[in-house]
Amino acid sequence: MITIELNGKQQTLPPGAAVTDLLSIIGSDGNTVAIVVNESIIRPDKRSTHLLKDADRVEILVFAGGG
Amino acid sequence: MDFLQLGSYTFSSRLILGTGKFSSSTVMLEAVKASGAQLVTVALRRFNREQLADDLFSPLKALPEITLMPNTSGASTAAEAVRAAHIARELSGSPFIKVEIHPNPQHLMPDPIETYEACRILAKEGFLVMPYIAADPVLAKRLEEVGCASVMPLGSAIGSGQGLATAEMLNIIIRESNIPVIVDAGLRSPSEAALAMEMGCGAVLVNSAVAVSEHPPEMAEAFAEAVAAGRKAFKAGLMPKSSSAIATSPLTAFLGANA
Repeated sequence: MITIELNGKQQTLPPGAAVTDLLSIIGSDGNTVAIVVNESIIRPDKRSTHLLKDADRVEILVFAGGG
Repeated sequence: MDFLQLGSYTFSSRLILGTGKFSSSTVMLEAVKASGAQLVTVALRRFNREQLADDLFSPLKALPEITLMPNTSGASTAAEAVRAAHIARELSGSPFIKVEIHPNPQHLMPDPIETYEACRILAKEGFLVMPYIAADPVLAKRLEEVGCASVMPLGSAIGSGQGLATAEMLNIIIRESNIPVIVDAGLRSPSEAALAMEMGCGAVLVNSAVAVSEHPPEMAEAFAEAVAAGRKAFKAGLMPKSSSAIATSPLTAFLGANA
């Protein structure tokens, strides 16, 4: 297993997991989220091929209410 | 028609609505519809699998004629705001970004130096930059010069409901500006929004006044009517003020007068 930091918390994943695998694990269809891995935005068409590595820092962001 | 022009975008509504602090997404959506707003602000937050209802993207995108204006709230430096803007554009597909950099949660006053730097970078990158600023005419002019689509000076502190406490400075900004001036923050009542429009603001941005009212959709509609009335009055041209009375009825040749 590998361990990444997801939104500031530890998350374990199977080796070779892609960003789309992470989305499945957290229950997101990926349509309404932005994903940043180690400061780089991962666009939707790259999510299935972008493999996560041990110690990657992943941010998953959504829109919430704000003024 | 009288449109609000922001970059290459035109809007018939001059009311911009924030989406924070509503009791539920349903109430927020009802208020957005009632307001007639075409530009709506949203904030970026970390995904929380326990709070999926926080995701406003799908319901807002489903509304016709709505353009999202993400904000950079949470950023305390220019670098953080630029990073947030990039992520927000990726998510929204909208070129609008409300640059909002307030490092001190006690007063939420915008940092002018970091705001200027973020706006300079983002305008150069092609964003339609809408900075939330103090009512500072010099800063407003500098932000116009770096290519901002508008400036958004505060009427008073965010969420305070203190109205147009900065009216004198707003008048100077409006007089000097070649881009729309949008009062952002502090408004409590529709009459204040009408006054801002009568002063010559291009639009007003309202959030708390609608969201924490007893009936948000009705309040949103009241703000929309006030903004439209204020704009119409501005366009019609207000009469000049006088320090003395000027009669509206003839004061001579009255019944029985001798002259």
